[in-house]
Amino acid sequence: MNASGGQQGLIRYENVSMTYPSTRGRPPLKALEPVNLAIEKGEFICLVGPSGCGKTTLLKISAALLSPTQGNVVFNGAPLNEPSRSIGVMFQKPVLLPWRTVEKNAYLPAEISGTMSSAIAERVAKVLTMVGLHDFATALPDQLSGGMQQRAAMARTLAYEPELMLMDEPFGALDEFTRETMNLELSELTHQAGITSLFVTHNIPEAVFLADRVVVMSPRPGRVSGIVEVPFPKPRTVDFMRDPGFTELTFEVRNILSEAESSSTRVAEEQP
Amino acid sequence: MSTYTVPDQDTGADVELDVFIDERDPERWKWRAISIIVVLTFLAIWELLPRLGLVSTIILPPVTDVWAGLTELVMQDTFPRHLRVTLVEMLVGFLIGTLIGFAIGVALGVWESVKKSVYPLVVAFQSLPKIVLAPLLITWFGYGIESKIAMAVVIAFFPVLINTMVGLETVPDEARQLMRSLKASRGQVFRKLSLPHAAPFIMAGIKTGLTFAVIGAIVGEFVGSSEGLGYLLHAYGFQLRIDKVFAVIVVLSLIGAILYFAIDWLERRMIYWRTDSSLV
Repeated sequence: MNASGGQQGLIRYENVSMTYPSTRGRPPLKALEPVNLAIEKGEFICLVGPSGCGKTTLLKISAALLSPTQGNVVFNGAPLNEPSRSIGVMFQKPVLLPWRTVEKNAYLPAEISGTMSSAIAERVAKVLTMVGLHDFATALPDQLSGGMQQRAAMARTLAYEPELMLMDEPFGALDEFTRETMNLELSELTHQAGITSLFVTHNIPEAVFLADRVVVMSPRPGRVSGIVEVPFPKPRTVDFMRDPGFTELTFEVRNILSEAESSSTRVAEEQP
Repeated sequence: MSTYTVPDQDTGADVELDVFIDERDPERWKWRAISIIVVLTFLAIWELLPRLGLVSTIILPPVTDVWAGLTELVMQDTFPRHLRVTLVEMLVGFLIGTLIGFAIGVALGVWESVKKSVYPLVVAFQSLPKIVLAPLLITWFGYGIESKIAMAVVIAFFPVLINTMVGLETVPDEARQLMRSLKASRGQVFRKLSLPHAAPFIMAGIKTGLTFAVIGAIVGEFVGSSEGLGYLLHAYGFQLRIDKVFAVIVVLSLIGAILYFAIDWLERRMIYWRTDSSLV
């Protein structure tokens, strides 16, 4: 059987690499060295690394918004060549349409796939209650705070029960307190629904708090420089952050990051 | 404070204007009173200058004479006809211009190849002072209403075109990616994302286009016509009936203001969300 011990993974990256073609005389940009990784069903993976390490590139490849220059992405046993409705994406910004109410923003995926029904409306109402936006279903996005806007975006994704949820620093723009609350809620919601998650962040404690495995990436060109397992029960609570094991794991991630950074600096210095 | 994007009248480029709007300004009554005083002072000076013999009444008739001229003008049997002709020219020109501007703007904003091939021509056309086309349009379309409509179309379509194009092009990348991740078709992206995103830009272009259509119709009448308010203005000018000239100007500015506020009302109805939003 294969390297991941017989398990195929819900999504699997086989030698996935990415080089952006040259533009306006600038040389081609190597964003991602071959990445090999398998994410199991129900797992929560956090992708950490310095800015420009190809985290977002890998996430976009996972959503089939970008196709890798080399290698394959296998989703549910089949090559992933185009966006899939079983994959939900959350971006850095909430990306809510400002002319649609919160509820109608959450209907958008169903409207586009032509599957809008009263069952969907019920599910949206339920998910809006889950994320605490029950009273804001008919509010316009600009009437909500930043945290509430990201909650609305989360509801738009969760209402369709995706098998895989891709999140690109969704709480990066929020203040520390809101961010912590959102992380707690996200941990609980994805755990309950059994949703497989790939979460990009450059916040190490956030990554350790959320993840079953933290995948650490090196500076550009990005590659996986280490994987840290977080063997603590889920859903996680605030108490987990006070556990000595939590601090230890953040140090472990930190160390892999600094090692990767210094070795990549050496490589850069060795080049003429 | 709200930021409004308006096309610059000369270059067609978008200019951002910061407008202070606060409906609950505690001093609003004070400022309203002051603005009324300013208007009354202006009218009083206008009345007094000719009455005191400081300015010839032929050059500047007193306000009261203008008012008398205005009532006389609107009582004339021929006035409704002149008014109707000009209104038809403005409105038909505005509608056709808006439709043409919208259609070309969509083509330029949606298809990169159309933009690359046609845009230089569009810019060249815009840099032309459109008034020079008036004699040509009269030769082509005749002395009647058609040439004035054509003149209104020719100047009104451009702001709609440019704003439609810019509105469609400025759809944020992340929103496009969201639509792609949802497997939206090109038509769905246009209907559900690009067009509503562009709507505030398009409305701003339509507002400018309306003002331009008014100018187009009047200029067309100046150059050659036998009816309409622009014709009256021209004729009274030659007769040195300056009170009537001012009376026609008052009628024209009323028409302009009414049309503008009608569009403005429509815009407030249609664009109910905040357009400076950073959500998308």
